[in-house]
Amino acid sequence: MTTSSRASQTTQGQSGPLWGRAAVRRNLNAYAFILPFMVLFVVFNIGPFFWALWLSLLRGDLVDQVKPFVGVQNYVSLTTDSITLKVFLNSLQYTVSVVPIAVVTALALAFLIGNKLVRFKDFYRAVVFFPLLASAAATAQIWSYILAPRYGVLTYLLGLLGVPEIYWLSDPDWALYGILLVEWWRGIGFHIILFLAAMLGVPEELREAARIDGANAWQVATRVTIPLMRPVILFSVVMGTIWAFQLFDTVFVLTNGGPVHATATIVWYIYNHAFRYGQVGMAAAMGVVLLLIIMPISYVQMKVLGER
Amino acid sequence: MTQIDLRRDWRRRLRLLPQAVVVYALLAILVIIMLGPYLYIFSSSFKETYTLISIPPQIIPEQLVWDNYTYILSELPFSLWFFNTILVAVLVTVGTVLIDALAAYAFAKKEFWGRDVLFGLMLATIMIPGALLLIPAFLITNWLGLLNSYGGLIIPALANVLGVFLLRQFMQTIPEELEHAARIDGCTDFGVFWRIILPLSAPALATLSIVVFTSQWNNLVWPLVVLNDKDLYTLPLGLALLRSEFQVNYGITSAAAFLSVVPLLIVFLFLQRYFLEGLTVGAVKG
Repeated sequence: MTTSSRASQTTQGQSGPLWGRAAVRRNLNAYAFILPFMVLFVVFNIGPFFWALWLSLLRGDLVDQVKPFVGVQNYVSLTTDSITLKVFLNSLQYTVSVVPIAVVTALALAFLIGNKLVRFKDFYRAVVFFPLLASAAATAQIWSYILAPRYGVLTYLLGLLGVPEIYWLSDPDWALYGILLVEWWRGIGFHIILFLAAMLGVPEELREAARIDGANAWQVATRVTIPLMRPVILFSVVMGTIWAFQLFDTVFVLTNGGPVHATATIVWYIYNHAFRYGQVGMAAAMGVVLLLIIMPISYVQMKVLGER
Repeated sequence: MTQIDLRRDWRRRLRLLPQAVVVYALLAILVIIMLGPYLYIFSSSFKETYTLISIPPQIIPEQLVWDNYTYILSELPFSLWFFNTILVAVLVTVGTVLIDALAAYAFAKKEFWGRDVLFGLMLATIMIPGALLLIPAFLITNWLGLLNSYGGLIIPALANVLGVFLLRQFMQTIPEELEHAARIDGCTDFGVFWRIILPLSAPALATLSIVVFTSQWNNLVWPLVVLNDKDLYTLPLGLALLRSEFQVNYGITSAAAFLSVVPLLIVFLFLQRYFLEGLTVGAVKG
């Protein structure tokens, strides 16, 4: 920020008044650089945003040329529709489960890898990154076999420990947790790597000082290291929450919302109402609701990015 | 090191041994959890149909067969999906990096009317969930006649706000003096951008490339709504289709899933640093 304001002062100083011919040329010149981006940005981001708001007030399917205006009817319908409630509860239940589980396990694993006894930390960093590389579709394929009943390898391994067979993806009581397991595996590396970087950035002197004051390992972790990692943990929680509320790919491939809507999420609802059921207005209204949920959370993300 | 030091060191190690055993045992479990699924589908991709459902499951199949690979390569347009994915990911990456770099240069180094307002607006759009934009973006793509085409996959993906953000931040750290020197030597504005700014931004360009390439390689939703023609499918979409058409043939899905991941695993091994940097841009996991 400081660099750019200093830069602009010098440029202005050289090229005269703000509204002179030179200034106009300088402006046009700058606009030429941002033009390609701005055209695409307006056509595929800003435009669609306002259009989506408008669509949420209409009724019709994707191909209808004329979509009648129905006002807030779609939003009213959302409150009376039984599927809507199920979808909200699923997304909420999923989010409040996956985020704490991911953050806490990632913190524990970051402490494990960050342990002074561990050599070749880069190796473990790479290992936890690996699942992040696969697409949700590939991950879903991998896990659908592992989670399969009877001949699935996880069922077998848990059976060795005496755990009865779980129908991870076909039991309505378990399906959301089956999805959670897959998404945990896919995303945990993100949190671990962030935490590890933050942890290794905490000055050793601070920990040493706490140890001299008689703190044990647990106290050093909870009273010194973790409090100093707080901004990163916050960022992690925010990103995890944003992703959790937008869960779609894994659900689409593994369960397609079933069984009996047990894994139907907000984005699954939007996709199906727009592209399967021909209810674009309902889908858009749900999208606006998602926006209202996500916005306060991503506001924090934006602030964090803005400060960097 | 004296005798006493050595003995002390040895004692210290002995004292830490139980802790080290626990730590490394836990790490071994972590490695198995993270890599196990990859290794398991790799081995399963060589299983015969009946060994796929044997109980207990065979971790390493007794008999290895190529049938699953020959099937997806000969009976399915898998190689076509592979080609489509590479083509789309490469073109989107090159296009995004260029378009974002041009814009980022102006935002980092130039003063123009509305600059800060525009930038704030761009940053604010980060808060909009992709699912909300999905329907109108589809309608616009349809209106432009780009449905079911490479263009429909590529063009809407080119304006990447996080990319402009990342590059602008990096470009701001490039000293003014270099630009001034180039200008004195007679460089035009575009010349400064092309010969000075772009080469010096190489690390940030590499990070952005990795982020965009990975997210395109793995993108499912947009190809899903834009494409009809199976010959235009990308890998994630093809994989999702396999799931619905070959519900029980895990040999085929394992082989396909494995092949779709391998290229990124290889790229990752060589360019790890940029993957790690890209992670904090918050765009790798889509």
